[in-house]
Amino acid sequence: MTAMRVDAKVVMLGKESVGKTSLVERYVHHRFLVGPYQNTIGAAFVAKPINVGDKVITLGIWDTAGSERYEAMSRIYYRGARAAIVCYDLTDSSSFLRARFWVKELQTFEEHCKIYLCGTKNDLIKADRSARQVDYHDVTDFADEIGAQHFETSSKTGNNVDELFMKVAEDFSNSAFELMPEEKGVDLGQKKDSYFYSCCHN
Amino acid sequence: MAADVHNKGVTWDAPNGSLVPVDRLRSERSDSPTPGLVQGTEPGAGQEHAMFMHAQSFEDLAAESESNPDSDQAEDQSVLGESQEASEKEGEEEEQRGGAEPEEEQKDQPEENQKQHQKQKQEVQTGVRGKEEDVTSEAWRRHRKHVFVLSEAGKPIYTRYGTEEALSTTMGVMMALVSFVEAEKNIIRAIHADGCRVVFLHKSPLVLVGVSQSSQSDRELSRELQYVYYQIVSLLTLTQLNHIFQHKQNYDLRRLLAGSEHLTDSLLRLLDRDPGLLLNAVMSLPLSSSARDVVSTSLQAAKAKSLVFSILLAGNRLVTLVRKKDQYLHHMDLHLLFNLVGSSSSFREGEGWTPICLPKFNTAGFFHAHISYLEPKSDLCLILVSTDREDFFNLSDCKRRFLERLRKRSAYQALQEAVQTPTYPVSQVGIPELWHFVYKSKSSGLYTSPELPVPYQKEEEHERLIGLYRYLHSCLHHPTRPLRSVYRCGDTENLFAWVSTITTAAFNKQV
Ligand SMILES: Nc1nc2c(ncn2[C@@H]2O[C@H](COP(=O)(O)OP(=O)(O)OP(=O)(O)O)[C@@H](O)[C@H]2O)c(=O)[nH]1
Ligand SMILES: [Mg+2]
Repeated sequence: MTAMRVDAKVVMLGKESVGKTSLVERYVHHRFLVGPYQNTIGAAFVAKPINVGDKVITLGIWDTAGSERYEAMSRIYYRGARAAIVCYDLTDSSSFLRARFWVKELQTFEEHCKIYLCGTKNDLIKADRSARQVDYHDVTDFADEIGAQHFETSSKTGNNVDELFMKVAEDFSNSAFELMPEEKGVDLGQKKDSYFYSCCHN
Repeated sequence: MAADVHNKGVTWDAPNGSLVPVDRLRSERSDSPTPGLVQGTEPGAGQEHAMFMHAQSFEDLAAESESNPDSDQAEDQSVLGESQEASEKEGEEEEQRGGAEPEEEQKDQPEENQKQHQKQKQEVQTGVRGKEEDVTSEAWRRHRKHVFVLSEAGKPIYTRYGTEEALSTTMGVMMALVSFVEAEKNIIRAIHADGCRVVFLHKSPLVLVGVSQSSQSDRELSRELQYVYYQIVSLLTLTQLNHIFQHKQNYDLRRLLAGSEHLTDSLLRLLDRDPGLLLNAVMSLPLSSSARDVVSTSLQAAKAKSLVFSILLAGNRLVTLVRKKDQYLHHMDLHLLFNLVGSSSSFREGEGWTPICLPKFNTAGFFHAHISYLEPKSDLCLILVSTDREDFFNLSDCKRRFLERLRKRSAYQALQEAVQTPTYPVSQVGIPELWHFVYKSKSSGLYTSPELPVPYQKEEEHERLIGLYRYLHSCLHHPTRPLRSVYRCGDTENLFAWVSTITTAAFNKQV
């Protein structure tokens, strides 16, 4: 075993219980855990290699906790991220407001971070159309406006999950050449000072 | 073992005596629903220099404060955990305390109570919080122990059973009682009425209230409330709590605590069942000392500059603990860590990285804990506590190195086998008729106890057993007339407890 090598930092953001952990579980372990919901504490990190063309790219995925308690420290998780999967629950309109908050946060602090809007739990919508609380077109409009990609996924059925992460990896792979010299991989030790100057609430 | 596990030469002084880095600038953040948190103490604020400001604060350690854990040991690090078998006890040279044993106290337990126990058990088993419960129902009233947390404005923060909303009037009344008495420069400690004890603990900015129908003393209840208080502080820090309520007296704290209720629930269950919280001790995993030495040395070797404590757990048992020179981990903080790990499956999903305040160490700041299982299906969980929130990858590497080293040794095999059989039958100590015992080594802050034999396996019997230990413990540690040994005969069991400079044990013999 050698020290961990991570090519691209990917951060999962979104209101609590929208299904961030489930999405990572589905993608990394190909499973969906039923049973009582266990909120994430702080954040969980997993490294996942993925084949893009003839290359292997390792995504370092940070699954953050949605609880407001951790909001003030969220920057350590998304700082230097190349991609952010901002999740909202298709059956919960307040979760989309929260997603907008994260988008704004990312636009302010991480201009190099590509944003992927992800509507979760689409199996619930498929089962009952009236369960949808977030309008599809509202989201696509918003996505266009901020230049983000848009996905609707289900971690329960696996629908669209691999596609989402594949897209993240491909985009990274395509853009990697441009940005390479400056910022490669994830080094939490870097930019410590600049971090201190900008992480606080008012 | 020579030992500074971690590098020397780091100085931990707080130049300006404040947690806020001197020259921190502000910058705008997007609108957040969370009210302003204190700069520098928001979860995750790196506070390397501030972290060690007040070494340990033992001030409100429950009644019997312990001497500094092994502060006089030659080694710079302490490795906790020894295999404790009966034969080894005699050799121990420290003063120890022992728990106690069961006896008949069923008289105090009307049948209703028993039913109640069964009900609680069902709730626990289904993993459902009794949240939907109707707070006006008889069943709700009959819970053996209620715990409420409220703000000084009388706003509900936590209730063990039922929903906080439904209890806002009740909590308002509680707050009124507290402030009424305090207006006269008095402190309300407890109310005894109708077979109930209502115990108050005012730790500004929180008020904690326990309502118990058990035979527990006010002191014990108040100590349990303290645990709950520290649980909350460990999530937010006291600095942040104070800040929030200074700015907004009637802030609804449940917002920031959302998702943490199960931690408090599970802590309260531990308090009902784990003698360790009573004894100020943690349970060690039985393991041969040679294997433990190898594990400890491997853990020591995996150092990082910011690493303060490295803790290896097997389920709820301690395998070993390595600490930075001169830094001590209070048993209460250790219990909070145990509880965090034990009640969250979330750390199974990768490597956890979370801010945590260890309130007995310092209520003002956060450490960052790297929490992960050694292997996906394993019960062995490694907690690496760091002062630097940016240090995730270094700690992750520490874990990797530790595991690599360990895998090369046969000790790993021994450890894995020990994890498979974490308990032992009481018969192993070779004392005929002995049913159960708890043995604590005071110097190490560890205790050992055999598996529960048949008569105590049922949930309510288990809790009754803990009640008996509690009784013996309270005799040994009575504030005015502490006893050195206790023997009590009962209908179903005899109890024996002994504090000794050589050895302490508590027995439970069949009559
Ligand atoms: N039906 C359905 N339920 C889902 C799906 N994804 C998640 N859930 C459920 O939603 C709940 C929350 O899921 P998590 O993945 O734990 O949510 P989270 O976003 O990680 O929450 P925090 O860690 O608290 O921020 C769980 O009960 C899941 O079972 C999905 O695709 N379909
Ligand atoms: Mg989660």
